[in-house]
Amino acid sequence: MMNSMNKLIDEIRVTLKPLEILVPADRQIACIVEPGEVHRALAYLKSSGFAQLSILTCVDWIEDGEFELVYILMNWNEGIHVQLRARIDRNEPVFNTITHIYPGARYYEREVHEFFGIEFKGNEDSYKPLFLERWDAIPPLRKDFDPQAYSDSKFPMRDRDRVFKSRIGGTEDERS
Amino acid sequence: MVLDNKDTRNIWEKIGDFFSANSIWMKWYCTGCGAIEMPPTMTSRFDMERLGMGPMATPRQADVLLITGYLSTKTLRRVIYSYEQMNSPRYVVGFGSCTINGGIYYDSYATINQLDKYLPVDLYIAGCMPRPEAIMNGFNTLIEMIKKGEANGWRHYQENYDWYKKNQLESLGEVIIHDEFHE
Amino acid sequence: MGALNFLYAFLMLLLVFIFQTTLTGLNRKVTARLQKRYGARWYQQFLDIFKALRKDSTSHGWVFDFGVIMALGGIMATVTFIPVAGFRAFPGTDNVFVISYLLAVGMLGMAMSAAGSGNPWASIGVGRALTNMLAYDIPLMVVIFTMIFAFDSASVGQLAEMQQGMGILGWNFFRMPLGGIVAVIALLGMLGKKPFDSFIAPAEIASGPMVEYGGKHLGFMFILHEFMTFIEVSLIINLFFGGGATIWEYMLKYAILYTFTNIISGVMPRFKIDQAVKYFYRVPLAMAIIQGLVVIFTGLGVTIWF
Repeated sequence: MMNSMNKLIDEIRVTLKPLEILVPADRQIACIVEPGEVHRALAYLKSSGFAQLSILTCVDWIEDGEFELVYILMNWNEGIHVQLRARIDRNEPVFNTITHIYPGARYYEREVHEFFGIEFKGNEDSYKPLFLERWDAIPPLRKDFDPQAYSDSKFPMRDRDRVFKSRIGGTEDERS
Repeated sequence: MVLDNKDTRNIWEKIGDFFSANSIWMKWYCTGCGAIEMPPTMTSRFDMERLGMGPMATPRQADVLLITGYLSTKTLRRVIYSYEQMNSPRYVVGFGSCTINGGIYYDSYATINQLDKYLPVDLYIAGCMPRPEAIMNGFNTLIEMIKKGEANGWRHYQENYDWYKKNQLESLGEVIIHDEFHE
Repeated sequence: MGALNFLYAFLMLLLVFIFQTTLTGLNRKVTARLQKRYGARWYQQFLDIFKALRKDSTSHGWVFDFGVIMALGGIMATVTFIPVAGFRAFPGTDNVFVISYLLAVGMLGMAMSAAGSGNPWASIGVGRALTNMLAYDIPLMVVIFTMIFAFDSASVGQLAEMQQGMGILGWNFFRMPLGGIVAVIALLGMLGKKPFDSFIAPAEIASGPMVEYGGKHLGFMFILHEFMTFIEVSLIINLFFGGGATIWEYMLKYAILYTFTNIISGVMPRFKIDQAVKYFYRVPLAMAIIQGLVVIFTGLGVTIWF
């Protein structure tokens, strides 16, 4: 199996000319490419047996001012995962859809748009809300989002207007 | 707005409360990790049927709404529908620290912190999660409270409906959601 | 038929309710012991019913409300027609066909009410309940027609009395053993015990027809269920186990048969509805037809044959 991994790594290196290739764990390959290369790389990987898009997600590198899109693909014949990573500009979070290569990405792109605010051109659905019902702040998984402040403003503490008797074992006292 | 616990029940209400206390049907709203504590409470080790308690399939049939753990805003909407479908007298039991003050999700953008702002909680069972012993102890307390007529949360909800509705709308925007997944 | 008959009928309803509800409570304890639990108090079922009657309830329109009353009325009327150990509240009305048609009033009331709630689970539950009825009724009816043919009587009371006085082997269960087994299996289906309880599956279709009932409506449904259980078990006791010479004998037989169905139910998984239909149309129906052919062509079972 190591042979097929090495063969695959060599193939990827020759065909895609990635910036870097890592092997983060057994039977996993991480492949870092330029954002413009993503569509060509996905089309190539799909044609060479990576039929399943396991997930599309995103990482917010706020210090570098970049969003890193991560496409995880799975080959069911070999049992190998490939991560395709590409960094885009954080101030201009726009990318092209991959729904014409992997139609299942329709909902993943919608999720990434909801949680990170990245727009996917060509996927009309990606602007609609998916999980968060009636969200009214900046996308919550961006690093500059402050969950504590949001929680405090949205779910404030009770103003102590009901008395609960606390009871431990047999004893009882009142606190308010 | 402190709850008035004076016993002003007539004889029929006292008899009714006796029946209510000894026959507690629960709707488990299994929102969080607390759901896993219920099977041991129900089966042979602790056997809650001794006290007349049992699970029920729908909110209409149930007396007690059991909130087992953290509530996301999305779940809270469904819990409020369920609560409003129940028939009075109805009771709410909050389970674990997540319903009391948010627990480990105190700063989460998606989970609410204090359940009793949105629904009239009659009893909290503390713990993360409470073990079956604590649950049995808690339900014994609930039974005593119902017998004494102290579990008046449902009446509190009726009388202070505006206050609860205001809190619900402040945190949730709208309770009955309208989006592409709901007509 | 005078005022006294109606007094008898009223007393009978009261006693049946107390007896069957107590028995249900005791059987909850039996089920609990099967699961190595201590179990509920024996009067828990009374507490549950009165608690439900005490609560407020939600109406879903007049079909929903009226169906409950119609079902309860129909079932209570049927109870007064059941002969118990030679006692009949209304003499001469204990015909098998009268009872089965009156029972249908109750069943249809339930179906109407449940469908009137507008909940899809209720409709699925009613559909399954009626399918289940279709499944167990055909084998059972084949056996009962055989019996009516053999003894030239359709009166439940008379059929019960014909089995008495000849010891235990005079019971139709032993005279027509295949038919008796079919009847007990059909009883499991009638009572909605496992493995034939797919129409009230709580986790799958949220208790089926009962899904929208709460409070007083649910209390009525519980009372109705107790009466329905009495009718169904009583039919089998009268037709296959010789009724009872005395009321105590009748109650003992009743308690044993009902507890037996509960013990079976306690150790069984659940059939899907299509599996239940296939099962009833395969094994019990074949047994019922063989029993019918034996009785018609050989006369075995009409007289005591061993």
